[in-house]
Amino acid sequence: MKLQVKFSLYNAITKIAIVLLLGSIILFSLDKLAYNQLDSRLIKKKNKIIEHLNDDEIDSLLNKGESFTDYNILKEEFIVLTDIPDRQTDSIATVYTEKREIEGDIEVYRILNYKFSYHTNWYNLEIGETMTTLQSIKNSIRFYMLIVLVSALLITLVTDYTFSNFLLKPFYLIIDKKINRVNDPSHYNYENIPTNTDDFKILDNSVNSLMRKINTLFALEKQFIANVSHELLTPISILSTRFENMLNTAGIPEEHENKIYASLKTLNRLKVIINSLLLISKVENNQYLKTEEISLKQEISDIYEDLEDRIADRSIIYNCMLDDDLLFTGNKALIHTLLINIINNAIKYNVNGGSISITGNKTEAGYVLTIADTGLGMNKELVENAFDRFERGHTDENGFGLGLAIVQSIANFHKIKIDIQSEVTRGTSISLLF
Amino acid sequence: MNVLIVEDEKSLALEMDEFLSKEGFIVEHAWKKTSAEEKIFVNNYDFILLDLGLPDGDGFEVLKQLKALKDRDDAVIILTARSAVDDRIKGLDEGADDYLPKPFSLNELLARMHAITRRKHKLEKNEVNVHDFLLNIQNRTVSFGEERLNLTKKEFEIFNYLVLNKNRVVSRMSLTEHVWGDILEVNSDSNFVDVHVKNLRKKLAAITPIDWFETVRSIGYRINC
Repeated sequence: MKLQVKFSLYNAITKIAIVLLLGSIILFSLDKLAYNQLDSRLIKKKNKIIEHLNDDEIDSLLNKGESFTDYNILKEEFIVLTDIPDRQTDSIATVYTEKREIEGDIEVYRILNYKFSYHTNWYNLEIGETMTTLQSIKNSIRFYMLIVLVSALLITLVTDYTFSNFLLKPFYLIIDKKINRVNDPSHYNYENIPTNTDDFKILDNSVNSLMRKINTLFALEKQFIANVSHELLTPISILSTRFENMLNTAGIPEEHENKIYASLKTLNRLKVIINSLLLISKVENNQYLKTEEISLKQEISDIYEDLEDRIADRSIIYNCMLDDDLLFTGNKALIHTLLINIINNAIKYNVNGGSISITGNKTEAGYVLTIADTGLGMNKELVENAFDRFERGHTDENGFGLGLAIVQSIANFHKIKIDIQSEVTRGTSISLLF
Repeated sequence: MNVLIVEDEKSLALEMDEFLSKEGFIVEHAWKKTSAEEKIFVNNYDFILLDLGLPDGDGFEVLKQLKALKDRDDAVIILTARSAVDDRIKGLDEGADDYLPKPFSLNELLARMHAITRRKHKLEKNEVNVHDFLLNIQNRTVSFGEERLNLTKKEFEIFNYLVLNKNRVVSRMSLTEHVWGDILEVNSDSNFVDVHVKNLRKKLAAITPIDWFETVRSIGYRINC
């Protein structure tokens, strides 16, 4: 889960908790407040009635019977005065909530009940006030509070999310520009990503200093490769030119001539090994550019032209079925080397009169190029070690066991996946996923 | 034609000297960057064979110095064992005519020098005569009198290379490398170059005897003239 989402969720949860707590406190105190208000009003009314009480009034109130009841038109309030038996012990006012039926309408009322003595007679006074209005006010307050709180919650959630998005932007920029998209450390852009968050500045600077270290190491290795190649290849070129001159000297015995030529061949072998190792380390050291437009079809037909003699020499049937061409950017010379090594292996380890088939097609995963031969094949162990340097399948063949190591380093460089399927005596099939 | 070899490795420079002198070149040497720059300032050369790793500096600086001089047409071939990938591009960008990585075959060096000569002096006709065979290097055709020979691309390339290196042994190895390029891991001493030479000779011999086209034992071939 993204940090941003986590932050927003955390904020939302804490806010919901606060809102719930606050909401219930408000509702609770609202309730209390409303009852207090109502009760004090009832008590005031009672006091007023008691104050203005006189004999005539009581008589006129009670003249028609034992009790007197009065209410207003909307039945919001009522008052009941009842003559009760004497000798009551105390006169206290009690307030309670109760349902009352007035002329068929049942409503909830807040009722003040007060027993009092007036001129030795005891009376019971009930003053009621409807709760319906209060209830509806409470409901609408609850409703609006809910709306306000929920919308506040949503607004803060959205603003939190966008703000953290804005806040974290430099972080993702650093990850993307400075780490993910860096293929070639030597062309690394050290420019700081603009941010005023110190933590990201620290991150940015740390990535930069890490890159500087990597670059120094790369430069050192590059220098080392250049030095090694110079130190090894210079003596080889001295020897080979010397041997070439010797071969062109008139009158040297044939036996010596053969030995000189054999020495030249040995030197050439040394040169090929050194150049192969240099190629691998240069590829792994990212010293090549990948900027050329390459047509796979074109490359394969060029390679066929180079190798057709060897194919014909071993009477191999060559089948190339590339339904679609693949155009991509890469290093042409390296791709050429990669393909020629694989196809050359398919010739080298084939049987006379065997066949090589090259197929290419687009799949969901990408473009798949398969080079299959009907050659000697490899056992499981050999397949596993096929890419190791100096691993050679069949020691009686020429070659130095560096071919597939080169293939792998070039494939890695171009992010091409290699898959080898092989069966002893039935052949090998190498698939490249572009 | 005069050649300046800028190379600090004396034994290599002397081997090149021996080879080129036999070809009729007048050879001069410079062992260091400073002496190379002095010589370039004083003399015009047809060819400058330039090593990049000199004891007192970079060969590229010599190249820059040369390009700063006016009215100079010296052809520069960079010869280097330094294997930086961009050296080749840089060298050609800075005005070198060719780039040959060490170790190279002297035959190849000579072929490249011939190619440059043809390119530079456009007045010179692009045709070479060998025992009444006429090689047109531009059109890559060979004719004998009125008759046009039907050679494959590779047969022509082999013939041309042998003609450029006439009167000297060209090894199979050097021939293979020239025609097929520097293919890593492809064995350069296979006999498939022989198949092409055999076909080439068959085509040439069908017109006129070619006793000047020699097979030099197990080593290679030579065209005498």
